Amino acid sequence: MGLSLAMLPHQGNFNKQDLAEGGIEVAFEPKDSQNAINYAESRIYTDAELKNYTEEELKNYKVKHAIPDLEELEKGPWPSFVSDAKQGALHRKKLADDRMLIDRDVIEDMLGQLQVSFDEGETHWKHGGIVGVFGYGGGVIGRYSDLPEKYPSIAHFHTVRVAQPSSKFYDSNFLRTMCDMWEYRGSGLMNLHGSTGDMVLLGTTTEQLEPIFFELTHKMQVDIGGSGSNLRTPECCIGKARCEWSCYDTQALCYELTQYYQDELHRPAFPYKFKFKFDGCPIGCVASIARSDMSFIGTWRDDIRIDQEAVKAYIAGEVVPAGGGHTGRDWGKFDIKKEVLDLCPTKCMWMENGELKIDNAECNRCMHCICVMPKALRPGLDTGVTILCGAKAPILEGAQMATLIVPFMKAEPPYDNIKEFIEKVWEWWMEEGKNRERLGELMQRSTLPTFLEVLELPAMPQYVKEPRSNPYILWKEEDVPGGWDRDIKEYRARHKR
Amino acid sequence: MEELQKVIVEFAETSKKTKFYFKDIEKAVQKVLPDAKMRDIKKACTALINDGTLIYFSTGSSTMYGLKGRGMTEDPE
Ligand code: HEM
Ligand code: HEM
Ligand code: SF4
Ligand code: SF4
Repeated sequence: MGLSLAMLPHQGNFNKQDLAEGGIEVAFEPKDSQNAINYAESRIYTDAELKNYTEEELKNYKVKHAIPDLEELEKGPWPSFVSDAKQGALHRKKLADDRMLIDRDVIEDMLGQLQVSFDEGETHWKHGGIVGVFGYGGGVIGRYSDLPEKYPSIAHFHTVRVAQPSSKFYDSNFLRTMCDMWEYRGSGLMNLHGSTGDMVLLGTTTEQLEPIFFELTHKMQVDIGGSGSNLRTPECCIGKARCEWSCYDTQALCYELTQYYQDELHRPAFPYKFKFKFDGCPIGCVASIARSDMSFIGTWRDDIRIDQEAVKAYIAGEVVPAGGGHTGRDWGKFDIKKEVLDLCPTKCMWMENGELKIDNAECNRCMHCICVMPKALRPGLDTGVTILCGAKAPILEGAQMATLIVPFMKAEPPYDNIKEFIEKVWEWWMEEGKNRERLGELMQRSTLPTFLEVLELPAMPQYVKEPRSNPYILWKEEDVPGGWDRDIKEYRARHKR
Repeated sequence: MEELQKVIVEFAETSKKTKFYFKDIEKAVQKVLPDAKMRDIKKACTALINDGTLIYFSTGSSTMYGLKGRGMTEDPE
């Protein structure tokens, strides 16, 4: 569609050159130039309208439906969505009629219907429909109440998914503009962020969908995300923007694949949903290994970099371990044997003449030692990605973590090697996958050896956790000398009955 | 391309079902045109969406196609 995603903070018109002059190097720049969003110009509500009730009024406020079970939820120690929703409801109650385009009572009715669901143990949301914006097969999810007489303002209560910028860099101009727009054209309820990473706008009518889409894409330069049987909004960790451990530029790869696969994002033709997520290192801040059909995790294939002086400083207690991550309690003197060497999962580290040694061939890049002594240890310099496939939540069978498929691949623009891999996987899944079958389920159904064959990959030692638990090697007739037939006489000559 | 579109519309008009997964369409097309490629079938579907002949139906988790005005109302079933 050529629509740009707001992948960089909205701090004005800038490009790679401007940034370079300011001494900032970026690996990529957006495909379309980015407009500055200025809330002072784009705002809909005055300050008085935004803060239109007092704490006292909120305390005394009663939702028009009885919601005893929901109010019970407010009593716990955590922030409650019920309290948030009440604030929204009171705010709408006090706005003037012409200051919102959908029904005033949406939030109150939503709460009322939820109480009914609690009473009956059943949902009253109807699932799905023909809502969407023109030409897009995803990003808008139709939701309708099946109790429209009782809760008329939520007869339509559609969800809009808004693509998050890479690593969720927002600025307040963007967020305020978004909030005003959504208060005006929707319920004001939103969810930051949904599990795909999108900003989720909850509750609007069919008539508002096209205007909202226009505001988002043309004014705020942000696209709507994925839903349905298509590529979902790709998501990445903060990566090189702030994290020294990032083994590839997660934002650049996320942005590139989002732009490159626009058709897959907006025009559903997959058997079911498909998610990419990008972690810069095995710490896995976006948990790609559990949350995506194709998980990209940064790694290195050379040696962990060791600064022996810094190792000594940790041992001498001159540097706080784990970057101060455990300072809330006295753990005693730092003990490198107990806290690092003994906890290395492959036991590939040892001390020798006061120096830390690592047998890098045995290291499985778990990051533990690096986390404990970040000043002394760093990932290697020959970096790239590990690709894993097939994680999913439990709908059929149980939840499943991703399975290692590519132990190491370089991850550099224009990422042709990665695109080639992705397309091979999609080709197979689209051909062989049944309707509503996730990649992980297809891998399980057709076996890992088949998947590897499709990808033209040999089974690799890195796949094996322990003998017999993951059988990658199944013999085929052509691999066995003599095939499946044997000369029984010849066999009996050697093996008596 | 036009031929693909024609076959898709014929299938959507005559099938007993009114909503189809992409795969159902692909299979139906390949029955008539065995050499039709998946990518081209998708392009033909997209063209039919863009001219308003086909519409999407989405539950949020999966998506189907249908012929505008046949069988599908705006409300879900
Ligand atoms: C239709 C009938 C059967 C089917 C589909 C079947 C299937 C299987 C399968 C899939 C395995 C696992 C193989 C592996 O993990 O490598 C297995 C193992 C085994 N089956 Fe069967 N089996 C059948 C009948 C039998 C019968 C009748 C016996 C014994 C009288 C038997 C004894 C065993 C034993 C002892 C093992 C374990 C072998 C090992 O762990 O090395 N099976 N079977
Ligand atoms: C007093 C009689 C028996 C004793 C003490 C005995 C003992 C054992 C032991 C210690 C194992 C190894 C278990 C393991 O690796 O975890 C085993 C495995 C096995 N036994 Fe027995 N067994 C007896 C009788 C039988 C009989 C009568 C049969 C078959 C009719 C049998 C079939 C098997 C099979 C197929 C295995 C392999 C199971 C597998 O690999 O999963 N055993 N037995
Ligand atoms: S996943 Fe690794 S690289 Fe990414 S933010 Fe977390 S620690 Fe840093
Ligand atoms: S990264 Fe993990 S496996 Fe590798 S040396 Fe450090 S603790 Fe051991």
